[in-house]
Amino acid sequence: MTKKTSIPRLPYLFFKWYCRSDRFEELHGDLEEMFYDRLDEFGHSKASFYYYLDVLRCCQSYAWKKSTTQNTTIVMLKNYYKTSSRSLMKNPLNAFINVFGLSLAIGICMLVYGFTKYVYSIDQHHVNKESVFLTTIFVERDGTMQQNGLTPRPLATMLKEDFPQVRNTCRVEDQNAIVKHKDNVFHEQVRYVDPSFLEMFTFPLKWGVQDALGDMNSVVLSAQMAEKYFGSENPIGKDLQIIFGLENSKLFKVAGVAEEFPKASDIRFSFLLNFDNLAVGHKDYDEHDWGELLKATFIQLDEPHAIAEIEASMDKYKVLQNEAQNTWEIHDFAFEPLATLYERSPNIQSDISYGRGDNAASVIFLGIIGLFMLALACLNYINIAIVSATKRLKEIGVRKSIGATRQKVITQFLTENILVTTIALVFGFILGTAVIIPWFEAINDFSMEFTIYDPLLLIYLPLILLLTGVASGLYPSLYISKFHVSKIFKGSVEFGKKNPLTKIFLGFQLILACILITSAVVFTQNTRYTAKRGWGYNQKDVLYTAVSGEKEFDQLKALMQQESAVRAISGAANHVGTSALHAVVTLPPNNKYDVKELAVEANYFNIMGLKVIEGRDFNNHPGSDRQAIIVNETLVKNLKLDKPLGMELGYDSSKFEIIGIVKDFHSNNFFYPIEPIFFRVAEPENYQYLAMQVEDGEQSEVYAKLRQNWSSLFPEIPFQGGHQEDVWGLYYAEINGHTQFWQVIAIIAVMLAALGLYGLVTLNVSGRTKELSIRKVLGARLDQILSVITRQYTWLFVIALAIGAPASFFLISFVLDFAYAYHMPINYSGVATAVFLLIAVLLTTVFTQIGRLSKTNPVEGLKTE
Amino acid sequence: MSRSYLGEFEELVLLTVGVLYENAYAVAITKEIKEQSGRSVNVSAVHKSLYRLEEKGMLKSELGEAEAKRGGKRKRLFSITPYGKKALDESMELRTNLRNQIPEVAFKWQIG
Repeated sequence: MTKKTSIPRLPYLFFKWYCRSDRFEELHGDLEEMFYDRLDEFGHSKASFYYYLDVLRCCQSYAWKKSTTQNTTIVMLKNYYKTSSRSLMKNPLNAFINVFGLSLAIGICMLVYGFTKYVYSIDQHHVNKESVFLTTIFVERDGTMQQNGLTPRPLATMLKEDFPQVRNTCRVEDQNAIVKHKDNVFHEQVRYVDPSFLEMFTFPLKWGVQDALGDMNSVVLSAQMAEKYFGSENPIGKDLQIIFGLENSKLFKVAGVAEEFPKASDIRFSFLLNFDNLAVGHKDYDEHDWGELLKATFIQLDEPHAIAEIEASMDKYKVLQNEAQNTWEIHDFAFEPLATLYERSPNIQSDISYGRGDNAASVIFLGIIGLFMLALACLNYINIAIVSATKRLKEIGVRKSIGATRQKVITQFLTENILVTTIALVFGFILGTAVIIPWFEAINDFSMEFTIYDPLLLIYLPLILLLTGVASGLYPSLYISKFHVSKIFKGSVEFGKKNPLTKIFLGFQLILACILITSAVVFTQNTRYTAKRGWGYNQKDVLYTAVSGEKEFDQLKALMQQESAVRAISGAANHVGTSALHAVVTLPPNNKYDVKELAVEANYFNIMGLKVIEGRDFNNHPGSDRQAIIVNETLVKNLKLDKPLGMELGYDSSKFEIIGIVKDFHSNNFFYPIEPIFFRVAEPENYQYLAMQVEDGEQSEVYAKLRQNWSSLFPEIPFQGGHQEDVWGLYYAEINGHTQFWQVIAIIAVMLAALGLYGLVTLNVSGRTKELSIRKVLGARLDQILSVITRQYTWLFVIALAIGAPASFFLISFVLDFAYAYHMPINYSGVATAVFLLIAVLLTTVFTQIGRLSKTNPVEGLKTE
Repeated sequence: MSRSYLGEFEELVLLTVGVLYENAYAVAITKEIKEQSGRSVNVSAVHKSLYRLEEKGMLKSELGEAEAKRGGKRKRLFSITPYGKKALDESMELRTNLRNQIPEVAFKWQIG
């Protein structure tokens, strides 16, 4: 066996790479000698180990290659760094303005990134998102084709039988039920699915097994529901009673608990039951009925592109469906991939995904705001850099005369810029993660699951750095480096004052600030306006509660009638603000319209304060007006009814006569337009709500009494009622959030613009100290000096505001129309406030400078270099 | 105070170069210091001091002969310059001076 005696190659190569050639021989000789010594003493592996150590230890300056070119660059960069940090420290105010402005803008850009990522990752966690499709249909409504997420009940089963490409199908239906475990009893929404649900969608289970839903007696819970009913313990195997209706309930065993849903997910569930349980809860449920529709039908394919073949051969189902009934005459089928379902959801009616168009719009709005802010901050930087360069002209002159090329000067100023932007990036990062994002989440009451451990962020942030660096640094450095040495030293450089671009930049800033201030003012006003706006009915003294059926209603009514503060009580199958039935009505010849139906007791109009403006109210005799309806103004308008009274509308294979028109009212909050609605008389056995009018001021007492009566009558069933005023829930919180957001953005914008202006005016005044001092010596009064300084900004302001004010006005009108279906009439006060605020900022800035000037002795001013 | 400041380790290296005379190169110096002082010294520290002392002018050097156990590479042999001797003497003198100035009383410790 021969002993290994060679020197390890890797460290040798490393040594050779870093070691200067004139010392390589002697140094490596030493190392080799020591290696061989140790080889004899300790053996190869230990000697190699020491050799590694020695190579690393010798990697010091005495052994390094001296590269001449690299060295000067480093020296120059060091010099740039030094001069830059000195000039920053010399003018801390400007440095602060720049760093603060850029940090804020970068912080907002982080928010834009976080939010965009959140919106576009919704429901993207499903492994099969490309191969799972939602079946949708096209039906004719209000004269146009409408895509709808509901599908015929038997479709799923037939698709699976007819197409070999279909690997899996899943039917989904939602129903309300009462869920009970020991003392925990709540109204819940229960989702009935085929067992393939957990296979097609990615909902990893915390406890339990994947095929749990194969069992008719199993239930799968969300993490939230497991917590609600069972606390933190593992509930697998525990019993859960689900009450479908009166005297109809079933015991289920918990067989699975899903992990906490990702924050960015839209399709979720509370309780999953095997689909066949639908027939247990609803005895008359017929899953083979082509006349009925199902909440959602999902299919999964082996090959996603095979969807085109399936889509092309769906005709026979159209025939089947359209023979069975004609309200939902299907013109076409379409399949929506799960991956883009959330995004497409705003265009699909009643689909399972609740994608809202305003998320995508918010991304665009936020992006624009982020860009505005970045633009404001960069413009500040550019202006200040250009104007403050007057003070550094000599430095540039000296650099150029001792041999700096223009390129070198550009490099110098860009280095300085990178220094500032890097500092800003660090602060912006902290500001973004610690302040701006949490604040945004708080006012909008959601969590975007922002994490700094995101590889994309590592690309995004440097990109922002590069963008701001180039946008803010390039122009000043090109501009400053342009001057000739001789002119600089002769002092004949015309500088700063007459640079038109500086003014254009400032003007642009003013326009941006004007737009943002106007938005803030208008949004604040609008919030106040909507808070006061009438809902079109009496929401103040109405209380309501959910009941199920006539028996419950009668019992509760009997008890509540004993209260003296209760004026009247009415029953209803649907209730304004909480529920309405989706209905399709037909007008001859066969035009179908989507409307909402509310079935109520005859006296409902009195109690709710709904105003019948034409025709009459329902008759209050049992059994009368069974074929009569009362419609709202919007329905009359949408259906283009000329003489609505006495007309007949086809609905539910029967005819209904319009006997009255009710004034439009808001059954939904002001984000949504008023929908066409008709009322009809409800059968008492269908009563789902009890509504009552109480004396004003007595609401709280009656409400307490209502709860008390409820729990004594139905201790098993949780109470579900409230003040009518609260039916819009989070609406006011949401618009308050909007307002707060715009106010903060506007304050930041004003601050940035003011800081920029302040920086500019300060530099301008100090650059003209001599001139102003001479004026003072010769007897100029302060107001004359004031006019000298303000004069150069007057035209700028006039032009900027002349562009900014109308621009703000039109933009804000557009935004309001876009975001709110009902908003305040737009007036000029927002724009006026913005204009006054900006003028005030200018005057304050100039006044502070004048104040300082007035206190100094002009002789001091003249002495300055 | 002499302008040529000598670090403690540098002084040790300088002295050892003198001791080894004609055979003073990094590896030998490392071994010698280890032997005489019992300190564990690594060769890169010795390299660093040698080149520094040469920069300061206290050492001069020339390349010696190639040896097989060095992979056929030559070694750099160092020797003390007159300036190096002066620096050493000054350092020694300073120490002796200071030592002599310590009053005898300072060493008379009361026991107990």
